[in-house]
Amino acid sequence: MQAVSDERLIQWVADGDASCLGTLFERHHRGVYQYCLQLTRSPAVSEDLVQDVFLRLLQKASSFRGDGSCKAWIFNIARNVTFDYLRRAERRTVSDEDADENAELLVDHRSTEQVAAGEQNLTLVTRALAEIPAAAREVIWLGRFVFEDYDDLARALGCTASAARVRMHRAMQQLNATFTRMNGVPIDV
Amino acid sequence: MSDQRKSGVPFESDDASERQLWNELENLPQEAPSPRLRRRFYDELEHADRRLHRRRRWLGWITAPALAAAVGCLFVGVVVGLALRSAPAASHAEVAQLQQQVAMLNRNLVLDRLENGSASKRLAGVMEASVLAEHDPEVRRALLERAVDDRVHSVRSAAIDAIGPRVGSPAVGEELMASLEKAESPLVQLALADLVLRYGNPMQMEQLLRLSERGALHPDVAKHIKTSLSGNPV
Repeated sequence: MQAVSDERLIQWVADGDASCLGTLFERHHRGVYQYCLQLTRSPAVSEDLVQDVFLRLLQKASSFRGDGSCKAWIFNIARNVTFDYLRRAERRTVSDEDADENAELLVDHRSTEQVAAGEQNLTLVTRALAEIPAAAREVIWLGRFVFEDYDDLARALGCTASAARVRMHRAMQQLNATFTRMNGVPIDV
Repeated sequence: MSDQRKSGVPFESDDASERQLWNELENLPQEAPSPRLRRRFYDELEHADRRLHRRRRWLGWITAPALAAAVGCLFVGVVVGLALRSAPAASHAEVAQLQQQVAMLNRNLVLDRLENGSASKRLAGVMEASVLAEHDPEVRRALLERAVDDRVHSVRSAAIDAIGPRVGSPAVGEELMASLEKAESPLVQLALADLVLRYGNPMQMEQLLRLSERGALHPDVAKHIKTSLSGNPV
């Protein structure tokens, strides 16, 4: 339980106390970073995006309406910022190649460590997750690691709770199919 | 802390292998950002906070008082006009002083517009700043910041159009290179490098190449510069 809720903090930011943004940053920057990293696959770009997200909160604090959790609102902003970046990156010559290179580095780095530890399933899950489309990857990541109910997940994704359920269902099917294709057989149950 | 690992939303599928995958996800390693991110964020927060206060101070000035100032300027203009008509040789110094004050007010308004929260006001600021940028370092810096960093594409494009043709001039070129050396973000470095690549003179291209070879830039940006210049040798 936090002494001061996120919702109260963002209200104070809206009232002009920018220092409260520091507390929100400390609470959420790792989660936002990991989410951006899942989508961009570049640590340097993800750090830039995290910075952009939190500074955007400073400008948008007064537009938080309080009809959902502040955390879902923050991740919705993170989503907009990240997809804006991905759209812009598509138009740049350098970014796609770099993202792919970074993805390779991420996957290779993990494989070496994890295979050494005998964690082949985990290696394959990591690879399968990297291979499925970004839209499926983001819903799995947010649903598995960030939110604990579908209402918040839906707010972060900008859709209804039932649409979030459907998207999660399809994303897990895609992950399962990709894992099975890579492994030759489904995961051991 | 909210950053701690959560159990996730309820898993609702009946498929056993999907459930097993869901459980396996729990063990995925999660990368942590570098400590540099925290330092950069707090620096930027302090900077943004200062900007916000300055803007508030200006807004306090600009709403009703701005109207009063505009009327005041008009009134002073009329008075000076009448005075000049009655005593033409006497008040050249006063006119010069008045012109200077109006120019200063205009410059501050332009700087304020360039940092306005509204994209259309920033766009108007860019148009006005393009005239002042040649001789005013602060306006030049603010315009460069819009060209590189503005989140709205049309503002960024207008700022690039405004400052781009001046990149070849020594004052703007030096400012650009200094910003490039100081920029930590690869995205900002890339935008600045693109400005030089698009509008710079051969000397600036050479300077850019040296900078990238010296390792002063992000490796991806250095690679982009080398690739671009290899098709267009210095």
